[in-house]
Amino acid sequence: MDLLAHLEAYVAAVDEASFSRAADRLGIAQPLLSRRIRTLEEHFGGLLFDRSRRQVTTTDFGVLLLPYAQDVLDRAHRLRHMARSARQSAVRAVGVPADCGPAALARVIRAGAEHGTTLGVHELPPEDRAAGLTDGSLAYALVRVPPEAAALRVPLGLASAPPPNTPDGAHPAPAGARPGPRGRTVHLEDLRPRRGRGATYARRAALPILITAEDQVPYARERLSRAADRAGLPEGLVRPAGPMATALAETLANRVTLLCAEPFARRHGANWAPLGDVSLHRGYDPGVTRRQPGVSDVPDWLVALLAAAVGAAPTMSGTAQSDAAGGNAPTRLAARG
Amino acid sequence: MSARPAYRPAYAATDGAHLDVAEAIAKEWAAVGVRGSFLARSIDTGEQLGFDVDEAVPLASVVKVPLALVALDRIATGELDAARPVRVDPATSSVGSTGLAAFRHPAAVAVGDLLLLMLTVSDNASADALFDLVPVADVDARLRSWGCSGIRVRHRLNRMYECAAGAAGNDFSLAQEVAIRDDHSGRHAIETLDPACANLGTVTALVDLLQRVWRDEIAHPDATAELRRLMGLQVFTQRLASELRADTLRVSGKTGTFLHLRHEIGVVEAESGHRVAMAALTRSDRRANLAPDIDLAIGIGARHAFEALRR
Repeated sequence: MDLLAHLEAYVAAVDEASFSRAADRLGIAQPLLSRRIRTLEEHFGGLLFDRSRRQVTTTDFGVLLLPYAQDVLDRAHRLRHMARSARQSAVRAVGVPADCGPAALARVIRAGAEHGTTLGVHELPPEDRAAGLTDGSLAYALVRVPPEAAALRVPLGLASAPPPNTPDGAHPAPAGARPGPRGRTVHLEDLRPRRGRGATYARRAALPILITAEDQVPYARERLSRAADRAGLPEGLVRPAGPMATALAETLANRVTLLCAEPFARRHGANWAPLGDVSLHRGYDPGVTRRQPGVSDVPDWLVALLAAAVGAAPTMSGTAQSDAAGGNAPTRLAARG
Repeated sequence: MSARPAYRPAYAATDGAHLDVAEAIAKEWAAVGVRGSFLARSIDTGEQLGFDVDEAVPLASVVKVPLALVALDRIATGELDAARPVRVDPATSSVGSTGLAAFRHPAAVAVGDLLLLMLTVSDNASADALFDLVPVADVDARLRSWGCSGIRVRHRLNRMYECAAGAAGNDFSLAQEVAIRDDHSGRHAIETLDPACANLGTVTALVDLLQRVWRDEIAHPDATAELRRLMGLQVFTQRLASELRADTLRVSGKTGTFLHLRHEIGVVEAESGHRVAMAALTRSDRRANLAPDIDLAIGIGARHAFEALRR
């Protein structure tokens, strides 16, 4: 017997002095209400209502038990309320990449409050985000996956120093300033050093390409180093970035280029040009922990805001052509020359 | 991106100045990620410079030079007829991208021209057609009878393709990956890269061979003369010859390229009469089919060595 539902029927019928009005108030059919009251009377071993007159009245027994029944319902209500507020005040940790914009993350936190969920954002390197979901220390996180299979795709490109003759050239444009034009698509083999010493080409070596921790996931590092090898880039041109501030400073000083997403480059006043090979871009899947009760799917509103925070491209369900092993004629396996 | 113990070659040089040059070449190679051995020797004075000169390395197509010398010696002694036609059918011939290996229709080619195709465009089908006439074991035995102890010939050219395809199923990138990984582990999935099974040579043995060929101190003089002529017709100039291209210089060479191996042996001759024999046997971790900077680094080393030794 659902004691609480039966007590509700009893208390409502006393309040309304009518079975039909009580049933209306509870939103149930009157026969169901009558049956519940009868069951309760059998349970307590005495009549709660006198049904012999036209107007139903409460028996002495019914009056005696009423405050106790009310008390049970009140406590049950407080118990439910307590559970709800405890649930709402629990902070759900969201693991995000380290290069998200603060404003975008603020929108994530605010939207959480609007949806009755307290969110805390944690900037973490990719492997820590995956580990956080596994051990339950994160409720949600963006997990790095190869871009061709990813729910979210973030174009990667090279950040470089803004040209010195732009209006703000003397000091790099502050955040939010009018963005420079998007650079032409970067193809890695175009970065090969030129061999000629002619007058047309200044014999300038390509700038090193620095890789941040976000792109040090094994599959991504592997792809990039292979792509650099195949494109004929000199040994050591692609290398890990040290501390972010130093890497950015060297980028803005035109000493290196930095592999990053466009919003990150723009925020720091750098020029940005996308990499032509989309298999080198970032891919993210919104991930959810299985270790926290009450946390199931990542809500759609959260996915949308996280996508905006990492600078995901509008969803292209297209296929990334990963032609990394292209032109694989068997003759290349033979001895050549 | 990974830290490995610094590459420390063992240098060999006739004097201090040559030692400096050998060190500079090793440094130049290390800068582009090349490991390997190098030796350059003045054919007439015997002065030399190099490093890791006794390391045995899988020869790739460089093995075509000793094969050619043995075949030419048989021709010179009348055991083999240079004019004898040999039928090569694409259905059964060896895999390769040049010469008869790239033919799509059967052809009949004279033995002497198989030698030309093998040495000028590194034709694998011609090389294996010659191995049909002069078996692998005979070539190896002849080399030993000539005292070429640092060169081993153990398999046909197509064996390299078969082993690479067997390990990687026609995926060049994967085969290269396997080759590079095995270099570091020392266990070889591709048998023709395993020093226990491969055609092998050291730069010392190869430079000895070139020196004797250029001085007519090995085989029949007709054979050495023809080998010098054919090596002078090689079409590939991107490697040893890349910094030695001038009308006053002649580079006679033979390249060898297989997965991550990039070799060349050859002789540089100047109008002034200076002659320098060289061998560069290299490997790298570069996972690329083409690595022009590595080829160029070998060429820069060759020029440096030639200029140091011709004085």
